[in-house]
Amino acid sequence: MNHIEAITLRGMLPAVFANESTPSSEVWKTDLTLRRGESYLIEAASGAGKSSLCAYIYGSRDDYRGTLLLDGNDARSLSIPQWQEIRRRHIAYLPQELSLFPELSAIQNIELKNRLTGHASPEMIEGWLDELGISARRDFPAGRMSIGQQQRVAIIRSLCQPFDFILLDEPVSHLDEENNRRAAAMIEREARRQGAAIISTSVGNPLLLEGAHPLSL
Amino acid sequence: MNFVAKLLRKNTSPARIIGFTLSNFIGLAIILGGLQFYLDIRSIWEDDDSFIKTDYLVVNKKITSENTFAGASSSFSEEEIADIERQPWVASVGRFSSADYHVSASLNQGGRGMSTSMFFEAIPGEYVDVPASQWGYREGSDEVPIIISKDYLTLYNFGFASAAGLPQMSEGLMSGIPLTLRLNSEDGLRSMQLHGRVAGYSNRLNTILVPQEFLDLTNRELGTGAKRQPARLIIRTSSPGDVAIADYMESHNLEIAGDKSSSSASFLLKVIVGIILAIGLTITLLSFFILMLSISLLIEKNRDKLHSLLMLGYDLKAVAAPYNVIVAAACATALVLSVAGLLAMRAYYLPALAGLGAETASVLPALLTGMLLTAVIIILNIAAIRKKTKAAWRL
Repeated sequence: MNHIEAITLRGMLPAVFANESTPSSEVWKTDLTLRRGESYLIEAASGAGKSSLCAYIYGSRDDYRGTLLLDGNDARSLSIPQWQEIRRRHIAYLPQELSLFPELSAIQNIELKNRLTGHASPEMIEGWLDELGISARRDFPAGRMSIGQQQRVAIIRSLCQPFDFILLDEPVSHLDEENNRRAAAMIEREARRQGAAIISTSVGNPLLLEGAHPLSL
Repeated sequence: MNFVAKLLRKNTSPARIIGFTLSNFIGLAIILGGLQFYLDIRSIWEDDDSFIKTDYLVVNKKITSENTFAGASSSFSEEEIADIERQPWVASVGRFSSADYHVSASLNQGGRGMSTSMFFEAIPGEYVDVPASQWGYREGSDEVPIIISKDYLTLYNFGFASAAGLPQMSEGLMSGIPLTLRLNSEDGLRSMQLHGRVAGYSNRLNTILVPQEFLDLTNRELGTGAKRQPARLIIRTSSPGDVAIADYMESHNLEIAGDKSSSSASFLLKVIVGIILAIGLTITLLSFFILMLSISLLIEKNRDKLHSLLMLGYDLKAVAAPYNVIVAAACATALVLSVAGLLAMRAYYLPALAGLGAETASVLPALLTGMLLTAVIIILNIAAIRKKTKAAWRL
């Protein structure tokens, strides 16, 4: 696989919603194709399945009805090694719970990913830390940082790999507008450089992307 | 710094790992020590005879005062031989044939001579484990190889030589002395003289053995022509150590010559070694479970971290590696300790065993056993680790 060009959802619905009457959605129970190079802002109320959608696309869960295709390949048929390759080369993911290791410092958390991919140079990483204003916290254990600071560390970590799609699950929920703008600019720059798509979710505090397709869950 | 190992080894309990290493060491040391002790001490009972393989039995009838006075024959009839051949543990039966003439042997040593009456026996060549170049006889040759019982040399050295003031002789020295053999027919009309060369000494053949072809030839030339039944048989068994053999010997009033390996001491040794090996294996098995449980517990405690690393794109192999390293290191340490223990124990008991006349056995079988057991423990644990880490794929 050189690139994943499209992610296609066909009649997808989280299994837990199967017996509920769901309000009309632009994502669930429809045919939807997300393309490389585009930006998508998924807006929804809490509990509508944003994190579930991210987990399905990232291969960490498969409790859904319908079909999910990565460039025509059924996501359910992919093996663990294939998913690991996708996670290192094709799809970047910032989970809502961040999944930082609290005992490691900010820079160690970032390096944990970057060592795996060898994607970003030390200068790039230092530049990003600077840009998001957390250089002073680079050697702090992640567990002792504020949620907003942790969110910025996790954003940088998610950029430490080549990707065709970057999934951001409520990436700026704890950031002020200024930091939101900086993070959005940084992510867009990286995405554009690689010709990648951005898929970002939010419950009212969206990542400030320009020209993103809004989708409601 | 390896962050992955640092993260995944959190919650490691050194006490549990040391506990495993110690118990595995004790288990392995008992197994290796028991095995090695058995191999070292075995030579006291099982004096390997290079001329007759261990699965060959030399059998004769028991001589009792009863059958001497009753005039019962000590030789085997054709029916008796046929009955032995029918036994399931018999692969083949060879007959001892004996010389039908008189033999006298003399040896000259520094001007002092010694002469004795002798006899010859022969068994088919397939039962004698001596290279063909050193065994066998070509018609016309004046030299014949003989195998004599070790007991004869002992008898000479400690009985005759010391009483007669003659020098004692080693096996090698004896073999170098030319032995003059004189063969005379019963009626004294025909005779033959030639040299004997001692090709070897046997513990299990209480006889003077010459090649079958030599005996056949000399019997034709010097014998009376009377056919005699063999008094001894050599049996190749298909199952050495079979209890049916001892039962048959007992019920038919037969005895096995030079039979030391089935003595009760040897049997007792085997039982004791068996018990020791069973204890060692049990301890090793328990230590294996200690290791497996502590690693499983460790992986369970670090399951969230494992999952997060897999989410970042780390391979199953990469996240299993820190645990595999713990297992391999603990097992290797236990193996090294137990081998050191084995060598120390051996250094302690070997001088005592040497006094009993034991020949040192190789430590290779014990070492290979230790390596094999360690490899099995490592492989099973790595398989368990793989299964456990794979389970962390889905939270």
